[in-house]
Amino acid sequence: MSHIHIEVEHLNFSYEKKQPILRDISFFAGEQESVGIIGANGVGKSTLLKLLVGLNLNFEGSVRVEEIPLEKQTLAKIREKMGYVFQDADSQLFMPNVYEDVAFAPRNYGLPEEEVKRRTEAALAAVRIEHLREKPIYKLSGGEKKMVSIATILSMTPDIILMDEPSVALDPKNRRNLIKLLNEFSHLKIIASHDLDFIWDTCQRTILMAEGKIIRDGRTEEILRDKELLEAYGLELPLSLFEKR
Amino acid sequence: MSKINQAIYEIQSLDTLANENRWVNRLHPLVKLCVTILYIGITVSFPKYNLSGLLVMAVYPVILFVIGEISFKDSIRRLRLVLPVVCVVGIFNPLFDKNTVTYFGSLAVSGGVLSMITLMLKGIFTVLAGYLLIASTTIEKICYALRLLHLPKLFVTQILLIYRYLSVLLAEANRMTQAYALRAPGQKGVHFKVWGSLVGQLLLRSMDRAEELYESMCLRGYQGEFYYGGRIKLGAADMVYLLAWTGIFLALRIFPVLEVIGGIFVG
Repeated sequence: MSHIHIEVEHLNFSYEKKQPILRDISFFAGEQESVGIIGANGVGKSTLLKLLVGLNLNFEGSVRVEEIPLEKQTLAKIREKMGYVFQDADSQLFMPNVYEDVAFAPRNYGLPEEEVKRRTEAALAAVRIEHLREKPIYKLSGGEKKMVSIATILSMTPDIILMDEPSVALDPKNRRNLIKLLNEFSHLKIIASHDLDFIWDTCQRTILMAEGKIIRDGRTEEILRDKELLEAYGLELPLSLFEKR
Repeated sequence: MSKINQAIYEIQSLDTLANENRWVNRLHPLVKLCVTILYIGITVSFPKYNLSGLLVMAVYPVILFVIGEISFKDSIRRLRLVLPVVCVVGIFNPLFDKNTVTYFGSLAVSGGVLSMITLMLKGIFTVLAGYLLIASTTIEKICYALRLLHLPKLFVTQILLIYRYLSVLLAEANRMTQAYALRAPGQKGVHFKVWGSLVGQLLLRSMDRAEELYESMCLRGYQGEFYYGGRIKLGAADMVYLLAWTGIFLALRIFPVLEVIGGIFVG
């Protein structure tokens, strides 16, 4: 078995005892898989992603990243392997310019400046934003901020990429660019999104959640074509699958 | 443009100014910081009646505005709220100190008037010195210099992040006031009954943002120290700049320059 994988077993989580957010979540995601997590508002998609990177450790059950159990003592090691892209780019970008933001993670890992430079340039090249290197963050458009957000985690050379609503606030062109970019990445990707067309275009596997539980876990083509299933859980067919009038 | 938008614009244009490729911007940030601190220290050390000695301290901001190609007009516009506050600090001095200390021609000048003028000048010069530092040095370089001076990293990180998120916070406040204005036609400003709610919402959103920001930093390996683009080397030009201004400031403080010049002309 490849060493790059996430294994979640019987994960339960709630902020308050009487209101469980996640109930008995179990799944396995392996190398080069692209997994979409879909569901109506409030089902726990974002919460699940945050738990996978250890932003909250008060859960029951187990999460293992490449055989390392997710605990307080292993957080630093696990976070080196995982890149998390926030829904709101303004929460992700806090340095004065693009280069400094993308270089932030490699510097924190104590890498020599030549290596920091190499990784930063490689990350900028991977998302094709070398021309934005010196640009102040506040001058970036929404699409550019999203690309820079992705570059900031690529410079960490993660094995696993987690993305929370990556296509929000992107215009059609930037959205198409993002889809193309993600399809070029060979990382294990887990993407939480309302944009079912985006999931259709980027993920081979889909996990449908409702009321904090996994309702269905299977091939994207099967789940996103099942109109009755989607509508039963507050969703609709992807727009691209609607019959044209 | 609303006042909040104007404030955001000013912050961003100051940032652009500090990023421009001018000789004064290329100087080492530690040198500029030290010169600014030294200038401020020496300026405020002048005795309260020593107007002639203090006047020559204008040489530093004047030279920097001219040679550094920084617009004096823009600086006055940006500092238009701060400078009047600085000027009124000593406004009651003439009431408390009425003894005549000198004559301006035949006009008797009291100690209060003289100390009021020196206080105003000290305030103006020090504010201008601070402005010149910010206009020629990006915030991350100022923070780099502060760390070289061994200021606590938490303090320096606060400065950097406040600067970065000031625009974000102002933009959020702008959106809220715009949303209010669009649903309160005919009202000027925000009704006081809503102040509490608006401020409370802004506070809550700021706290959410701060939490997400911290999470983002931790997920990228942050452990309390901000690392800025490698070491900036000190060059010959930096040392000349530092030593020259140090010499000039000390000379201006120790020697009565205006009196010496006056003596030369009068004979």
